[in-house]
Amino acid sequence: MSEIFKSEVTLSENGFLFDHGSGLTYTLNTTGQFIFRQLQSGQKSKQIMEKMLDEFEVIEETARKDLDDFFRQLNELGLIDL
Amino acid sequence: MSLNVAVTGLHAADNPAPGLGVIRCLHHPEKWDGKIIGLAYDVLDTGIYDEGLLGHAYLIPYPNTSSKAFLERLQYIHQQEKIDVIIPTLDSELTVFQKIAPELKSLGIATFIPPKQITDRISKSQLAEFCESENIPYPETIVIKDPGELKAAVKKIGFPLMIKGVYYEAYTCKSMEDVHQYFELLRLKWGLPMILQKKLDSEEFDVCCVSDTNGDLLGAVPIRKTRLTDKGKAWAAVTLKNEQLMELSRRILKKLKWSGPCEVEILKDKKTGEYNLIEINPRFPAWIFLSTGADQNLPKMVIELAMGKTVSPMAPAKSGICFVRHATDLVCPMDYIENLTMLGELHYKSSE
Repeated sequence: MSEIFKSEVTLSENGFLFDHGSGLTYTLNTTGQFIFRQLQSGQKSKQIMEKMLDEFEVIEETARKDLDDFFRQLNELGLIDL
Repeated sequence: MSLNVAVTGLHAADNPAPGLGVIRCLHHPEKWDGKIIGLAYDVLDTGIYDEGLLGHAYLIPYPNTSSKAFLERLQYIHQQEKIDVIIPTLDSELTVFQKIAPELKSLGIATFIPPKQITDRISKSQLAEFCESENIPYPETIVIKDPGELKAAVKKIGFPLMIKGVYYEAYTCKSMEDVHQYFELLRLKWGLPMILQKKLDSEEFDVCCVSDTNGDLLGAVPIRKTRLTDKGKAWAAVTLKNEQLMELSRRILKKLKWSGPCEVEILKDKKTGEYNLIEINPRFPAWIFLSTGADQNLPKMVIELAMGKTVSPMAPAKSGICFVRHATDLVCPMDYIENLTMLGELHYKSSE
C-alpha cells in the first residue's frame, strides 16, 4: 500500500472503492480510477500529471485542475494525507 | 470432544437477541457435535422454532424473578440434557449468571463471563469515571443523581447532547424543552441516575471482542454498521481493518482485566479524528455470525475458554466482509406451542 493512504483501500476493476479502515465505499469514474491506480503504485503528482497527458486528450491546465480537485476530494474524505 | 451447549437470547424479531447468531457460529462450518439447548423466556421467542438450529428448547424464569428459581430451573434442564457450557447473551441476565456461577460450576456447567466487580465499572453511570481514571477518551459526560443538577449540567455540556437512561434508551436533545421532555420520560421509566453526554459529530464503530482472564485480547472483529433500523439496530454492516479501533479496544479490556465476550462501541470525532469510548455491552452482539465470515469464530473460542483451555490470539479479522439481516417466517405445528406452554420444553425429533 502506498504511504499516502491513511488505511488499506481496495479499488475493483469496475471502479468500486472500499476503505478498509472506515468501511465506506465510493464509485470512481474512469479518470478517478486512472489517478487512483497511479497513486496506489506510488506515483507522485508530477508523474501522474504526465501520464494523464499521455492517456487522455486533455490540455495541461484542465488535467492539473482535475488532479488537484481529485486530491482535494480524497483528502476531504479522509482517504489520503496530503 | 462433544459438548452440550445452552444458549439464551433466542428472540429475533425487530430487536434481535444475540443467541441465534451465537448458535449459528457453533454450527459453522459444520453442524455442532453435541446438543444445542435453547433457553427461552417466552413461548413465542422466535428462535425456538428454527428447527435446524436447536435440538431442545426450555423455558426459563425471567432473570429478575429470583436467582433461586433461576438456578433450580437450570438444574432441572441439566438433569435432562447434561449441559457442559452456558453462553448467556442478554444484558439483563448477566447479574443472575454472575451470582449463580459458583453453583453452576459445582454442577459441572461452565460459563465464561466477566465478574461483577468488572462489569460494575462499565455500567452507564460508572463508565465516565472509568474512562477518566484510565485516560480513555470519551465524550464529556455528567451523571445526574438529582433533578436539581440538571440545569447546570446542560449548561456545562451544551447542545446538542444525549440524555441516556441508566439501563436503556437514549435521546438527542437540541433544546432545554427536549431535555425536560426526555428527562421526565426516562425518569418515569428507569429512574435516576441519568446520563448527559455531549453529542459528537461522529462516525460510529463497534468491535466484538473476546479476552482472557488477564484482559488480553484474543479475538476481535471491528465493524461499521452500514444500515440501521428505526430502533438503531444494524441490519447491514461491514468488517474493517482499523488498527486504531483495535488498539483502543485492546487497551480498554486490558485496563478492565475483562474476561469473556463484549461489544465495544466507539465514536470517531469527525472534527478531531479522536476515537471515543461510549459503551461496552457485556455480551456478544446480535451480528456475531458475521465473525465467521471474518475467520474469527468467537463463540467457539468462548466455549474453549469456558472449558479451561489455553487459547492463542487469533489472526486479525478479515476486512471487507458484509452482512445483511434478513427476516423470514418460520412455520410449525401447534403441538410445538402446546409442548412449550404446557410442559415448558420442546424436543426436536431430529435431535433424538
